[in-house]
Amino acid sequence: MGVFILRKLGAALIVVFLASVVVFVGVRAIPGDPALALAAEDRDPEVLAAIREKYGLDDPLPVQYVRWAGLALQGDLGTDNRGIPVSETIVTRIPLTLELAGLALLIGTVLGISAGVIAAVRRGKASDYAATSVALLGLSVPHFWLGLMMIIVFAVNLGWLPAGGYVSFREDPVGNLEHMVMPAIVLGAGLSAVLMRQMRSAMLDSLGADYVRTARAKGLSEWSVVGKHALRNSLITIVTVIGLQLGALISGAVITEQIFGIAGFGRLTVDSIAQRDYPLIQGVVLVVAVGYVVVNLFVDLTYSVINPRIRVSGGASK
Amino acid sequence: MSYVEASPLGARARRRRIMRRRFLRRPAAVISLVIVVGAVLAAIFARWVAPYSPDQTDFDAILAGPSREHLLGTDELGRDTLSRIIWGARASIQAGFLATVLAMAVAVPIGLIGGYYRGWLDTVIARVTDVLLAFPFLILAVGLAAILGPSLLNATLALGIAAIPPLIRIARGETLALREEDYVRAAVANGANDAVIIGRHILPNMTSTLLVQATLTIPAAIIGEAVLSFLGLGVQPPTPSWGVMLNAAQPYLNEAPSLAIYPGLAIVIVALAFNLLGDGLRDVLDPKTER
Repeated sequence: MGVFILRKLGAALIVVFLASVVVFVGVRAIPGDPALALAAEDRDPEVLAAIREKYGLDDPLPVQYVRWAGLALQGDLGTDNRGIPVSETIVTRIPLTLELAGLALLIGTVLGISAGVIAAVRRGKASDYAATSVALLGLSVPHFWLGLMMIIVFAVNLGWLPAGGYVSFREDPVGNLEHMVMPAIVLGAGLSAVLMRQMRSAMLDSLGADYVRTARAKGLSEWSVVGKHALRNSLITIVTVIGLQLGALISGAVITEQIFGIAGFGRLTVDSIAQRDYPLIQGVVLVVAVGYVVVNLFVDLTYSVINPRIRVSGGASK
Repeated sequence: MSYVEASPLGARARRRRIMRRRFLRRPAAVISLVIVVGAVLAAIFARWVAPYSPDQTDFDAILAGPSREHLLGTDELGRDTLSRIIWGARASIQAGFLATVLAMAVAVPIGLIGGYYRGWLDTVIARVTDVLLAFPFLILAVGLAAILGPSLLNATLALGIAAIPPLIRIARGETLALREEDYVRAAVANGANDAVIIGRHILPNMTSTLLVQATLTIPAAIIGEAVLSFLGLGVQPPTPSWGVMLNAAQPYLNEAPSLAIYPGLAIVIVALAFNLLGDGLRDVLDPKTER
């Protein structure tokens, strides 16, 4: 187990390092001179030269990378074009997105897993077809359109929920949830569709497996067969799928926050790109990549805990 | 010799006939195929299919509801929504197909080479793919579109590049599995060179996987184009695109919700059709999923 964790950790570190290089080089490939962006109205060559000097923009790229990465390791991601520390901005924006993602994950897993189990148990019946069709529809509906439709129905026509914005949970818990319900459903919908399909096929596999037949032969109740034996083994697949879907969740958060006017991390990503704020883009994308890798590492480890066979066959499973 | 030559050909024709029959037995897949073909034709022949030009304004009908003149109503400049959706299909279809072709053209050879030759090159390919997979598809596409600058071509490029890493992984995985097959070993024993083995034995046997993957990548790219255009990183107004139209509809959710409804419906219908077509093709091409 220890070796397994170390190997996964090592691979994750390499991926984080390479991802940071990709981020660094990618940001420098964005057209436009950062010195010009920093100088704003001032086009005086001397001012530009001073700015380049101050931020070390004339140094060779590897030197700039090492300096940036060294500071980043200490939690210092530099200051953005308005002079605000990037890490500070990120830290204030992340909780909003985490709340949104957490709620979406909750909605997505609860809906997806229960619909998948029902569809598998009642295979070929009307409820199976209904769940399968809705899931297929869910896969084809883009987040941002679902968001617009929900705003039209629940905010504009019915007036039940606010169309956008954000209230902190500490100030107003009810208001916070009112603002978060629609974005969380929008973001969770796609996830639940994917999970439903995976859960259905995993459950069908489990229900056909020998140990389920044995459990039935032992005379266990249907509830116990489905709930204890088939479900538990299907959850292994689901953990992996959730891990794989986190990328889609992050992408979806960007769009969802844009539509509902939530000033979270996703909104920050789009804004930083729109404003060509190099240090900010760098920091934001780096945090996304690192977060994604860390979560995947966590998923890998969870997976090995649930399914001991993985440890024996090593990392070959991935 | 002629007997040996004729037999596999006959078998192939028979298999194709069986597949066609299996496909036709799936109404969802057939309807999806019709929708996909219809959308492609509408996009190509937009000039003749659309009742109006996408830029033609009708100041007597601003934000108008559906009428006989404007079947799906008009936008804030009195432009016909139906016509703009038909013209907008061009951006979507173009982005969907070109991005997928681009991604396939890059990913498949890389995956084939990595999976077939193994060794250090394969390790490098696998690691780089891992790194690129650390960036979610749309984040990668948004970042690339920002680097390239906003236009349909650049958005297509960005989506195509962003779709490469998962396809490399699939092509590589298939190659790794196929190179262990008995018929590949037989070909090696017969003295076939690498090009023949890859081109005649491995690639043809993964086409069905790739075809299914393509029908799933196309709708992802179509939605991706809409998202990029919605964020202002793709097609630029006044050129019609479903994403551009949805973005422009936002201030009018109250007065003219139909502006936001129809372009989105177009995206859903086309994306759903591609997804169903992919499902159908998978069932037809892969007998293991036959239920």
